[in-house]
Amino acid sequence: MSTFEIGLATLGAMIVLVYAGLWVPIALMLCSYVGVWMMKGSPVLAGKLLALSASETISSYFFGVVPLFVLMGFLVSVTGLGRDAYDVANQLFRRLKGGLGVSTVAANAIFAAITGISIASAAVFTRLAVPEMVRHGYTKKFSVGVVAGSSVLGMLIPPSLLLILYGLLTEQSVGDLFLAGVLPGLLLAAIFAGGVVLMAYFWPSFIGENLSDDREHDLSPRDMLAKGLPIALLIALVLGGLYAGFFTPIEAGAVGCLGAIVIGLARRALTWRNFWEVLTDTGLVTASVCFLIIAAQMYSRMLSLSGLPNEFGTFVATADIGFWGVILAYVLLVIVMGTILDSSSIMLILVPLMLPVVVPMGVDLVWFGIVTVIAVEIGLLTPPFGLSVFVIKSTLDDNSISLGEIFRGAAPFAIMMAIVLALVLIFPSIATGLLAR
Amino acid sequence: MTHGATPEPADGSGWGQRIRATADTISNALNVIGTLLILGLVVLVNADVLGRNLFLAPISGVPEIVSMSIVAIVFLQVSQAFRMGRFTRTDALLNALGSRAPRLRAAVELVYVAAALALVWFLLSASWPLFEKAWQRGTYVGTVGDFTAPEWPVKLVILIGCMALIMQMLIAGAIALWGIVEPKSRGDAR
Amino acid sequence: AETIDATIVAGHPPVFRWVKHASQTFIPTVNKALEGSGHEIKWDEQYGGSLSKVGDELEATEEGLAQIGVISSVFDPAKLSLQNVSYYTPFVSSDVALVSNTINDLHFSNPNMRVTWEENGLEYLGAPSAIDDYLLMTTFPVNSIDDLKGKKIGAPGPAVNWLGGTGAVGVAGNLTTYYNEIKTGVYDGVIVFATAALPGKLHEVAPYITKVGFGAQYAGSLAANKEWFDEQPEEVQKALRAGGEAFRDAYIADLDAASEAALKTLAEQGATITEVDDEFRQKWVAGMDNVAKTWAAQVDGEGKAGTEILKAYMDAIRAAGGKPARDWDQE
Ligand code: NA
Ligand code: NA
Repeated sequence: MSTFEIGLATLGAMIVLVYAGLWVPIALMLCSYVGVWMMKGSPVLAGKLLALSASETISSYFFGVVPLFVLMGFLVSVTGLGRDAYDVANQLFRRLKGGLGVSTVAANAIFAAITGISIASAAVFTRLAVPEMVRHGYTKKFSVGVVAGSSVLGMLIPPSLLLILYGLLTEQSVGDLFLAGVLPGLLLAAIFAGGVVLMAYFWPSFIGENLSDDREHDLSPRDMLAKGLPIALLIALVLGGLYAGFFTPIEAGAVGCLGAIVIGLARRALTWRNFWEVLTDTGLVTASVCFLIIAAQMYSRMLSLSGLPNEFGTFVATADIGFWGVILAYVLLVIVMGTILDSSSIMLILVPLMLPVVVPMGVDLVWFGIVTVIAVEIGLLTPPFGLSVFVIKSTLDDNSISLGEIFRGAAPFAIMMAIVLALVLIFPSIATGLLAR
Repeated sequence: MTHGATPEPADGSGWGQRIRATADTISNALNVIGTLLILGLVVLVNADVLGRNLFLAPISGVPEIVSMSIVAIVFLQVSQAFRMGRFTRTDALLNALGSRAPRLRAAVELVYVAAALALVWFLLSASWPLFEKAWQRGTYVGTVGDFTAPEWPVKLVILIGCMALIMQMLIAGAIALWGIVEPKSRGDAR
Repeated sequence: AETIDATIVAGHPPVFRWVKHASQTFIPTVNKALEGSGHEIKWDEQYGGSLSKVGDELEATEEGLAQIGVISSVFDPAKLSLQNVSYYTPFVSSDVALVSNTINDLHFSNPNMRVTWEENGLEYLGAPSAIDDYLLMTTFPVNSIDDLKGKKIGAPGPAVNWLGGTGAVGVAGNLTTYYNEIKTGVYDGVIVFATAALPGKLHEVAPYITKVGFGAQYAGSLAANKEWFDEQPEEVQKALRAGGEAFRDAYIADLDAASEAALKTLAEQGATITEVDDEFRQKWVAGMDNVAKTWAAQVDGEGKAGTEILKAYMDAIRAAGGKPARDWDQE
């Protein structure tokens, strides 16, 4: 077998193993190990690939903030801040059918301005929003789906680690890219919100038949203030500090934790006991998510060695199919790769391959970056490897909802992303309109 | 009890239970150390932000400490995460099997655990030389004159984490094996 | 013809000059040298983190996952300690070719330099990559050292030391986030080089460029897995070395042209570029701790030739006509 065929075979094996119920990280490790062994003829080398990936993949400042953002979300949840925020949102949007789903999207859009990674958003809102939506009569499937869907806003609305990576690969100004991400991010949020309302009217079996709007607990303006103020303070602290240059987006997670701790103590909602529980839980979520990312990196390195992604990329890059042919084939390739690879790996493999092809075509690289990020982010929601969905599953810690159900819940949102992607393709000014040029 | 976790040891004084209890104590202890590390990160990053802005005195080496800590946190907690059923998996097929043919389900589980054990063993044995190298050569991260920290502790934590994971996987294997022999008394409630 | 498989690894993507020349100068030169020798190399190029992250290329090559690594010594200060001598001797020379060639020559005149590679299971292939003169880019004009008092300056790890004694606060930072951090005000400036400042559009947020004279730096080289290299026939070994030499010349010529062009473009796009006078530079240098000595002592303590290489490097620079602002080795 050629390395290319071995790559293809491990691809099939991985999909089968994941659906057969082997733990996802173990399935990825198994395929990487066997793949490298077959390609290089050496089990020792295969072992070395595992070991080097384990010690290198997450050893970075960027990954170091994962537990901090997870902890911040859990603290907001355990101190009752999240529940209060949802009571307020419910009051505000209660005339809207599916209002709580809409406020989940809105809250995610705001949180996206704080965080640069989607897995942080997914972890935070699983704890914050899912229990509240379920309490108000939404189905579990929809509740996790809307959280998974809106978590992608974290990478589109600045700051965004993926846009920074793209800027590095293409020598585009990170400032321009951030600015270009704003409108598509807001558009995506608006379409998500509109989609939720439509589903509430026309697809109640999916979103929930009896959505309560809690009329008996009408909040007085005074109650609204008491419930809304603490979370508003926390958001003001983090966003304000961020844009005043007091700290970096990466440090924001730690500052947010401290803020949530102080508010929790002031409200006497934080005890040693629940604080410790939340901390321990943060560790478990961090471990399972990061172990998965490590295994995904092993798999991605094995695939790179097989030459498979490169072959496909070269195929698209060299096919004589004109401008729109190349762009559409590229977008399709990114989405297909998104089913099995993690976001940054796809970008690192495909963008350098496509760059020499699209530059002579006079493509606006900022626009191309936004297109790439949206397409890559669809992969967060698609099986068998969908990182946002995995994060939700390990954060939720509730076996009554299966991985498959989360994927199904997220599917309408993946489709809405595809719609926004199409809009950005047709109307490039959605991305580039805010740029002064 | 967390649904999907391997069950807590039942009352009794059998040697099986005692081994279980010891293993879980080890995983719990590692979990606590990892948890304290997370708390440490919160304190460290906030101290750095405050030090930099209020006293013009940032803490040296924060990026290096953060990137080493995250690896340590993951490997300190990984065995507990496995024990608590936090490893991501698609359980549709396994559940279907479990309700119709519990013995077969246990057998499949045993095969999976065996595969997982083998892979973590490969990972452990390939990571061992990396630790030895870091230890013998005294490699460090950071910059002389500003901040340096040795690399070996993190490499050691990777080994410890893999060993603890193997320990928990052996227990999961024993439970699966027991499920084949005596499907009714299997403690696994999945 | 006999075909040899070789994987070449780089953590950086090919937009970085050292990766570009690995792919476009080193490989073609090796291929050309092998023509008619009966040997042929089948290359597998793994760049941009597809096989290894930045700073992990050394280990991937040492362990044999790749046969040739584009290795950044600046990210491996412990394993390639001696190679980092230039980062601990700032204000020595802003001449890229001088710094790069001096370090490269040291590898052949002083066996200690090759020993650090060999200890990591690597064969030095020449092909030094260097970084053009580091600049100070700030949101405010720098007319005197006092202007820096209390200002937060982002800098790559080893360069944090360069700010000692100025009253500025050195913050270890990362090129990828400089733009955002300056824009929001986390940093008031950064230490960076022109060929990175331009594509990063840093002048949009930090338009004051001060040529302080930090100097050019040696940043890394190509190296081969030693076990693999030793197994290769002599023609192949020779071809690889020829590739390294071609890389060296092409890289320097390219970088020289690019850094000059970058500075010109930066100025055209509104950046204010000033060069400090000798008095300013002397005041800065005199205020610093002798970080070179600290470094040399540390490296000596690890059983390597820190002090010897420090002296050899400074001597070679002076012999070639370089004018160090401070003789770090003679204190
Ligand atoms: Na964001
Ligand atoms: Na996916």
